[in-house]
Amino acid sequence: MRSWDDGKGDRKESLRRLRQALSQSRSDLWRGWKVYRRSLLAVAGLIMVIFVTTISIFADEIAVEHPYRNLQDTEDEWVIDWEPRMKEPRSEECDWHEQKIITNTRSKYFLEEVVAESHNKVGEDNRYYKDTLSVIRIIKIEDSKGYDLNSSLLYIDPANSSILILTPELYNNSTLNLGVWVTYEFNNEAMHHSWLPDGYDVCIFGTTDTGQDLFSKVLYGSRVSLKIGFTVATLTVTIGTIVGSISGYYGGRVDEVIMRFCDIFFAVPGLILAMAFVAALGSVMSLTIPVWFGVLVPILFLVTVTQSYLLSTVLDGDRISDRTMNIVMQYRGPLLSLLCFFFFVGLLPAPAWPEFFGISESLGWRLGAALGIIVVIGAITLADRKFIQNWDFEGASERLADSFDWTNPLRYLSIRTLAIFVAIVVLFRFSNGSGDEIVLIKDFDRLWKIQAALIITGWPGYARLIRGQVLYVKEMNFVEAARSVGAPPGRIMFRHILPNAWAPLLVAFTLDIGGTILSASGLSFIGLGANPGTAEWGILVSESRDDFLYHPHLMLYPGLAIAATVLGFNLLGDGIRDVADPKNRR
Amino acid sequence: MKLHEFVVRRLLLLIPVIVGVVIFTFSVAHLIPADPAATQCGDKCGIIIDYTDDGEPITAYQANRERLGMNEGVDVQFKKYVTRLFEGDWGESETYNRPVLDVVKDAAPITLEMSFFALMIAYPVGITLGILSAVRQDKMFDHVMRFFGIAFVSLPIFWFAMMLQLYFATGSAMGGVCDPIFGTDGGCFPVYGRHDTGFTYPEDGFVWFFPEGGTGFHLVDSWFVSDAKLSTMPDEWNTRWLLFKDTLLHLALPCIALGVSSAGSLLRYMRASLLEVLHEDYVRTARAKGLAESRVIMVHACRNALVPIVTILGFSIGGAIGGAVLTETIFAFNGMGRVAVTSITSIDYTVIMGVTLVTSIIFLLSNLIVDITYAIIDPRVRLE
Repeated sequence: MRSWDDGKGDRKESLRRLRQALSQSRSDLWRGWKVYRRSLLAVAGLIMVIFVTTISIFADEIAVEHPYRNLQDTEDEWVIDWEPRMKEPRSEECDWHEQKIITNTRSKYFLEEVVAESHNKVGEDNRYYKDTLSVIRIIKIEDSKGYDLNSSLLYIDPANSSILILTPELYNNSTLNLGVWVTYEFNNEAMHHSWLPDGYDVCIFGTTDTGQDLFSKVLYGSRVSLKIGFTVATLTVTIGTIVGSISGYYGGRVDEVIMRFCDIFFAVPGLILAMAFVAALGSVMSLTIPVWFGVLVPILFLVTVTQSYLLSTVLDGDRISDRTMNIVMQYRGPLLSLLCFFFFVGLLPAPAWPEFFGISESLGWRLGAALGIIVVIGAITLADRKFIQNWDFEGASERLADSFDWTNPLRYLSIRTLAIFVAIVVLFRFSNGSGDEIVLIKDFDRLWKIQAALIITGWPGYARLIRGQVLYVKEMNFVEAARSVGAPPGRIMFRHILPNAWAPLLVAFTLDIGGTILSASGLSFIGLGANPGTAEWGILVSESRDDFLYHPHLMLYPGLAIAATVLGFNLLGDGIRDVADPKNRR
Repeated sequence: MKLHEFVVRRLLLLIPVIVGVVIFTFSVAHLIPADPAATQCGDKCGIIIDYTDDGEPITAYQANRERLGMNEGVDVQFKKYVTRLFEGDWGESETYNRPVLDVVKDAAPITLEMSFFALMIAYPVGITLGILSAVRQDKMFDHVMRFFGIAFVSLPIFWFAMMLQLYFATGSAMGGVCDPIFGTDGGCFPVYGRHDTGFTYPEDGFVWFFPEGGTGFHLVDSWFVSDAKLSTMPDEWNTRWLLFKDTLLHLALPCIALGVSSAGSLLRYMRASLLEVLHEDYVRTARAKGLAESRVIMVHACRNALVPIVTILGFSIGGAIGGAVLTETIFAFNGMGRVAVTSITSIDYTVIMGVTLVTSIIFLLSNLIVDITYAIIDPRVRLE
């Protein structure tokens, strides 16, 4: 049996290696940056990406109003402003207000005074109301036929700036139902950007067709787009890497099946495929998975991955005897079935427990789950011990303490145990305790649907890319050498192949964020993406379609925002490619 | 491997993919939440229309389910779907009130024409700019072109299309920069549509629409379609030319919008490919022989640099068909993309299946042609 002191040399060695790796990666990064900054375009791309990200983070501070929208995103504390300040719709000036005053001498409502009121606003009780505006000056008066009238026919009440008074001339000469259009400038301090220099303090992008500040909408749109971009790119990269490396490494029939499956995805043009998936996901209201699936699959996956990672890091060669390796291999099957057994015994009958103990359903469920988890964790921890040492009860507590000591090289086993524990806890955190199902995404709204559709359509591309990389690296001499020494597949994968395949992955990831933003806004544009009324760039452009020829600013700014963001990510990806793959740079 | 062996092998590889696509479209259509039996009868679903032999009432809804074969198992439905697919019975569309095959047949040429024309614009532009950029490597022109290469790829198609409409379809009176140059009122190019709704024939004031029939490719049809009215025209060929010009003008803006991202990526690929070739030995040999630089580039380098560009064509076609969804929506072309959008928003699942199947078959076939072309140009591919 190994004692704690035996591991001293190993611990020192592993710390030394860690330090070396850190300093190595730091100098690699520095060298990469020195190459990167040589390209003006790449630096410009980086700046654009940082700019957009910053703006989206500080949107609450920069924006003058919160977009009136229904994103249903409870994660972010976006204040839904029930009082969208309505200005003149589709105007590029926010301080101008146009209002029709109907003068009717016979009406009992006819007065010499007219109150300057805002457009309809939506109150907290969802009813419309109007605000009184304090008028600065009257710009134009025209009659119902569009002829300009003398602007001295109407003047602002010196005592109250929100009251316009008709001169007797206009008052007496007005015929039945004469409509007069008054355009006046009013004091709209709420809409001014205080952070802009004097003279620019107006709402700079104009207003939308509902009279909201377009600039704020575009700002908040960056949040939606970046969120979609990062989520989709991360998940597609993860799935694609897993599938692609399996396919590339094992080859043969596995590879054939996976690649033929991917071919089906490549056979349909991307946007149409994504549209079909958005439609197919239409009835999914919340993303739930059965409990047994949701807990068992991640556990099995973690067990397999960490086991191969474990074999690749600690358990090589001279440190652990071959006999132990054999035990690991020998006990893998029984241990997994043990895990399944405890799981089913512990968790699945749980709904039946309340009658048994006479306690409330949710409490019984949670109690059963907790007991089951404890049993499973205990079983795995004990099993882990079994991997390393022959099992006996003497000194079990010290060994358990050892396994949580981070300087102990054998700690990776505990990492696995912890990972399983964390997985279960996370899954139960998401579960709303209803019993049979774990709720992954409670409100699977349309934003989630386009993200899901883009993930489903996106991963085969990565799988193919990674497969190619793995095939390419696999043929290299160092992989051959590692295999001839007898390194297990996990070690070869994690230590030799993937570190040499990360560069194209990073490039593809960066480019994919841009591509995802483009496709997501395209889907929103044709009405299959985010909800109408959302502050999303594609939606904003599509909402302007009715009369963009007369009000081009409505589509100009959101479109420019999309183009600039995507351009930034593309330039960034290109720059990273130049650094990572100098052969390509010319 | 001989060429014909390669072609046969490639065709055989196509079969599992097409089978997969058929299964895929079928399963996607069955995942879609709508109940076609309920949508067909609408609010009359509860009406009893018949009785069984046992005296049980049959509602309209049940009859619809029976007629659509929804009471059978999924495997039976799939078998029926496949046999009908081969018999040419693709079902009836709810929104168009026509057989799906007819809808698709009418729509496909429009998208194909648009994609083809878009690539016809994108390829010369992209390749020329790529060559110029590579020849002037690291000069100002090269930097500008590299920027434009990325910028073109980054443009959202729908926004770019609307910008084109804004600036090239409206005259200066409406804020556009474009004054009428082709005689179309209000701007250089028509704002949307596949044709003007009708144009007046100059001499007798006869209002004339595009003739029915023909292949559906109006650029071709405008010259070859036979039409009774057209043949009685005093100068038939002038009218045909007007038709052709009308089609072309309407195609120009959508195709520029559609082709711009292809042009951008082509520019970048061509540049990289040519730069790679320029470092090859045979280019050095050609220069050493004392050939003129233009001849070295155009004859020795470009011909070899163009070979890998052929493979990009496959991606471009896919991108163009996908992008047609957006341009067709904006420019009001009733092509596959618009049909796809309409069918998906109105959940018309027979049309969704048909459109997905047809677009993927078009895409697969064009990729097949590209692969075979590549194998002809570069025989090394066949060895793999």
